[in-house]
Amino acid sequence: MKPAAVVIGAGVNELVAAHYLARAGCAVTLVRSEVALERADTGWVTPRLAHDLGIDPRLLGAPCADPWAIAPLPGGGRLELTSDVGASAEAIRRLSARDAERWPEFCARMHAHARVLGCLYAEPPPDPMATALRDLARLARGALRVRGLGRSGMEAFLRLLPMSAADFLDDWFESDALKGVLGAAGVMHAFQGPRSGGTAFGLLHHHVGSAPGVFRPPLTNLRAALGAVGGVTMRGGTVARIETKESRITGVALAGGETIPAPLVVSGLPPARTLLEMTDPGLLDPQLVRALRNVRSRGVVAELELVLDRHPGSSTLVIAPALDYLERAYDDAKYGRVSTHPYMEARYEGTDAQGKHRVRVHVQYVPYALRDAVWDTALAQNFGRAVLAKLSEHAPGLSAALVGQHVLTPHDLEHLYGFPQGQAYHAELALDQVLWMRPLPELAQYRTPLPGLYLCGPAMHPGAGVAGAAGANAAAVILGDLRRGVLKVKE
Amino acid sequence: MLRTTPFHARTAPLCLSHAWRRWAGYVVASSYELTHEREYHAIRSSAALLDISPLYKYRVFGRDAARLLDRVVTRSVAASTPGQVLYTGWCDAAGKMLDDGTIARLDADLFRMTSAEPGLRWLQDNAAGLDAAVTDISDATAALALQGPSSRAILQEIAGADLAKLRFFRIVATTLKGIPVTISRTGYTGDLGYEIWTDAGDALPVWDALIEAGTPYGIVPAGMLALDVARIEAGLMLLDVDYVPARKALTGRQTSSPYELDLAWTVNLKKEGFVGKAALAEEAQRKPEWQFVGIEVEWDALERLYAKAGLAPQLPATAWRTSVPIYAGGGQAGYATSGGWSPLLKKYIALAHLDARWARPGTAVEMEVTVEHRRERAAARVVKKPFFDPERKRA
Amino acid sequence: MKTRYDAIVIGAGHNGLVCAAYLARAGKRVLVLERSDRVGGAARSEEVFPGFRFSVFSYVVSLLRPEIIRDLELPRHGLHILPLESTLTPLANGDYLAQWSDHDQNRRELAHHSLRDAEAYEEFGMLMYRMARAVKPFLGRVPPDPASLAPRDLLGLARLAANLRGLGADQVHALHKLLTMSSADYLDEWFECEALKATKSASGIIGTFLGPRSPGTAYVLLHHYMGEIDGVFRAWGFAKGGNGSVSDAIAAAARGFGVEIRTESTVARVLVRNGRATGVALESGGEIEAALVVSGADPRRTFMQLVGAEHLPQEFVAGIERFRFRGSSGKVNLALAELPDFSCFPGAGPHLRGAISISPSVDYLERAYDDAKYGEVSRQPYMDIVIPSMIDPSMAPPGKHVMSIFVQYVPHNVNGGWTEAKREAFGDTVIDTLAQHAPNIRSAILHRQIITPADIESMVGLTEGNIFQGELALQQMFFLRPVPGWAKYATPVSGLYQCGSGTHPGGGVMGASGRNAAFAILGERP
Repeated sequence: MKPAAVVIGAGVNELVAAHYLARAGCAVTLVRSEVALERADTGWVTPRLAHDLGIDPRLLGAPCADPWAIAPLPGGGRLELTSDVGASAEAIRRLSARDAERWPEFCARMHAHARVLGCLYAEPPPDPMATALRDLARLARGALRVRGLGRSGMEAFLRLLPMSAADFLDDWFESDALKGVLGAAGVMHAFQGPRSGGTAFGLLHHHVGSAPGVFRPPLTNLRAALGAVGGVTMRGGTVARIETKESRITGVALAGGETIPAPLVVSGLPPARTLLEMTDPGLLDPQLVRALRNVRSRGVVAELELVLDRHPGSSTLVIAPALDYLERAYDDAKYGRVSTHPYMEARYEGTDAQGKHRVRVHVQYVPYALRDAVWDTALAQNFGRAVLAKLSEHAPGLSAALVGQHVLTPHDLEHLYGFPQGQAYHAELALDQVLWMRPLPELAQYRTPLPGLYLCGPAMHPGAGVAGAAGANAAAVILGDLRRGVLKVKE
Repeated sequence: MLRTTPFHARTAPLCLSHAWRRWAGYVVASSYELTHEREYHAIRSSAALLDISPLYKYRVFGRDAARLLDRVVTRSVAASTPGQVLYTGWCDAAGKMLDDGTIARLDADLFRMTSAEPGLRWLQDNAAGLDAAVTDISDATAALALQGPSSRAILQEIAGADLAKLRFFRIVATTLKGIPVTISRTGYTGDLGYEIWTDAGDALPVWDALIEAGTPYGIVPAGMLALDVARIEAGLMLLDVDYVPARKALTGRQTSSPYELDLAWTVNLKKEGFVGKAALAEEAQRKPEWQFVGIEVEWDALERLYAKAGLAPQLPATAWRTSVPIYAGGGQAGYATSGGWSPLLKKYIALAHLDARWARPGTAVEMEVTVEHRRERAAARVVKKPFFDPERKRA
Repeated sequence: MKTRYDAIVIGAGHNGLVCAAYLARAGKRVLVLERSDRVGGAARSEEVFPGFRFSVFSYVVSLLRPEIIRDLELPRHGLHILPLESTLTPLANGDYLAQWSDHDQNRRELAHHSLRDAEAYEEFGMLMYRMARAVKPFLGRVPPDPASLAPRDLLGLARLAANLRGLGADQVHALHKLLTMSSADYLDEWFECEALKATKSASGIIGTFLGPRSPGTAYVLLHHYMGEIDGVFRAWGFAKGGNGSVSDAIAAAARGFGVEIRTESTVARVLVRNGRATGVALESGGEIEAALVVSGADPRRTFMQLVGAEHLPQEFVAGIERFRFRGSSGKVNLALAELPDFSCFPGAGPHLRGAISISPSVDYLERAYDDAKYGEVSRQPYMDIVIPSMIDPSMAPPGKHVMSIFVQYVPHNVNGGWTEAKREAFGDTVIDTLAQHAPNIRSAILHRQIITPADIESMVGLTEGNIFQGELALQQMFFLRPVPGWAKYATPVSGLYQCGSGTHPGGGVMGASGRNAAFAILGERP
């Protein structure tokens, strides 16, 4: 007899976890706040997940725009990179013959590395301190996969991990435009510039699940594909407290006062919010409380939602002309300022119910915490205007086609989607906040110190960019705990 | 650039020995006179006045003040009443001692906590989600201990409150010659005694008032050497000497749980959640491997060892704080960490950590004694602490 | 010329000398060939101006391995390390942060700024101590090759794993954070006082082309905590007579074992026949044979210049080309008529016997880095200042003083190149910055010596002026240093070894590379 479960949150991870638990026989209630959150999720859906939940992979949507990057060049003209490695090489040849020669090998190398990472992402993270046999086996599997890259592949992989995207790309290429487009994938959502260590890892992370030669995470509509699957009761509402009795989970209390009893609660909300605000932090080791507060989740991204009366003319537009451009944009953010020349990436999202064309613009670096200003409406609007003006320099027809626009500052993103400080990944993707350290070593296996309470959001391995994987991994751990009697639940 | 306590203007001229020592970044007198003997005897026969200002002191205030303290310490604070003082230890999540000290409940929502090591950060970090504020009042608060059979009489001369009503481990807010103070019936000597707490600015007048009132009773300013002998007689442990606080421990073996320090009576497992509770609950199921006990060395054994070297026993008047092996069952069974000659009891006593198998009172053991450069073993016995427990202490 | 030597060591830097000494102790006949007029490389003392003795380049001692001091009996050969006991950080508003070696004094100073930090500092110190202890065994070990299936490597990896797991989860995770985080982020978790965070962060940027907010600098912070003197970790000291006396003592020990050291003998090439090293060719003409050649020069100089790409596998050459040097440090050495008078701490107090750190905030350091990123000398540089004559009066005439100023960032690839004008401007920037805190400095200067990365390169032979013979970045550390697969001091040329800090465990005046290389050559465990 499986216990009742409450899953908290509106993200795709929570949905996936709920479905896994429901399929295993739990009576699942998914509580999500009533904000409309129809946005395309990014990230690769692991084949296992698709298989487990019985999803036809074809329904997951087009994996990426093609070309996946269109970058205006300083002298005029554009660099267009597609999923066709050969065609992209030809496009690059106009900038540098040497880079064109290297492009296929780069793509093959990165794809092999990304496959290794992808295997690690499809299960709970390995634990270097593991003692149980099954955990040691997972650790060994991970190590063998890395070794499976071969000597030079393994050395390249291990070298890549701590490197900056700038050094890594400088090793391969000379063209600024190419390196800018690639470097952007290294720093997406990161509070680091391309010269910072760990951003080469970021580039690799964002390549996981994509086809060779495509260096942007795939798009999915996993949420829509999951549709209405039986066994999961959806509830609107905000969870105010997670209730405990002598450290054991007893259920949740909603903001209105209603309680939903359940010995099993899975939260997709940020770990600090879950453990410090919704439960009594006195139940936790003070060192853990301190560590939770130290998890870095600084938002650096703002979004512009554009409504156009016609197709913008291209599927994407990347304004990241060089690594130093990105680095200077990051410099501004370090001192609490919005970048004067931000990294911008516009993506066509299709038509809406009214037949209007939607474009979403990712703008970076736009810090959540400003030093000499405050995010008010005036600032947001000025910001929106400035972004549009810059975009229009490269997309001349844009303002003419514009019917409406909506600025989402990091504060708006926090308010609307629950991103802590506007950080979409909840916990920043950094080398000390990945794998068995994500978001903290004590929490990396989705369990919390409170028996019956688990975490499944983007702050958990493998992080954002791999749709639903954290939810699937969390569900696997929960079901394993139930099976082994580790999680004892009274009826 | 060590700090001086608020009493330094009075204690400095009295320190004829020029023997100062460090305590928590302050200088305090090891002894005022050339030797500490008279100061020690004053603790047991009249009254000694000790400067204990270097203690760390914290003001914990707010609706959840008791809850905060209950999260941190092993004893139940919620059960205490205003005017009560608790002695307790507190632990890390592994159930190992971090520190020990007192908590005085000054009011429903107001506490003063003392500790041997700084603890502001620990207290504040444990206050997550609670309506409680912690301030460090260590420098702002001056503290004296007046200990000995005449201590009540001396205080009564100048105190506003009726001290006959101040029971053991209770505290009262009153005045001394009109100066606001709090007086707790607490101390580190195991005798009748009081601790006087006041604003640093009032330190000197309080000192003067006590000396004036106490002189006819034979009050003696006393330093740390005298206190050390008394506290060993009282069986009271000292951080860094008798146990390694978990934060400073380099290995797990160096740490101690309250059970291993004879502080089981301060651990309340019925209390809802405190740091280390799970570990302590688990330890309570099995017996602790170590015990903290009293050791009494047999006089005859000592005499025999010295006679072999052609000497009469020469025991140092100053208590020692080094590690001394204790043997039993054919091997080393533990080690003493504090010890010395008790002039009152006329015994050579020590505080020791012993393998629990040998820790029952009455067990025969041997303690290492170096006689004329040779390491010898003197017969000794495990005894219950305290070594000295006069009725007047609680009367 | 007949073969009179078993081994030739190229370069009399401290690692080369250490290697030579250990080889000779084991019975080899060793010849050391040094290009310049004295031993020491970047650990040298020179009377640059009459009566004034400078540690021209490296200026403090901490990381010198205790086992080397013991094995080579360096105190007997003249090494005397004097303690450096304090760090003063002047702040903009006339305040300062002082750190002292005495625990109570230090706590008191910190408590002025933050009571929480005063407490946290002790815990932090304990953790750094544990981390330094945890890492210490790896300094003296040859890194195992994770791609190899050879028993020795598998055993080495197993030992590495066992050591790490033996540390326990808390320490392993702490080590992971130190290896991957930025020093600023790491210190943010512990402290709130900006000046404390900045002064500690500064240890994380020494010799690197990274800012305090760059991941990877927490490792460099740990690297500088690994020093120990007399069993006391994190202790920094000053060698009596300047850092040259460290090299002199090692050289004396080496000579004691029979090593022959020739100065003003520049090696032009390593002689290679059929993939095997057979000796060296001197720039002055003439060749010296030996079956063993050990290079103390950095990897680029060794392989691209002394050996030549034609003798090396292409993959290896590619690896050497990817090995990064980017020098970011400079020095200004001053002869002073009087002591500097710091406005925040006036007078000739005990603070002048320690280090003075110009690092008032993390932003200050980060801005200094920003300038260098785009090819300029920091307009407001980080400076680590010591006054050696305050600790060792023999360094200057009575009543006068020498001051050593280590500066970052001073990029090797400065825009427009290191012209005379640029160099003087750099010197002026340093003096101007110092004058903000000690206004009397300008009038006190008798002479000044300016060292840019270009000077470090030309005077000492360190590529791009990088003081560590290659950046201390994880991607080129441990089994990846200098090139994956070639991290055990051997090279693709038989008989040719490398022993400089371009190998594990990296730079700082440690001597560990030289010692490890010697043991690798002798086929023994260090």
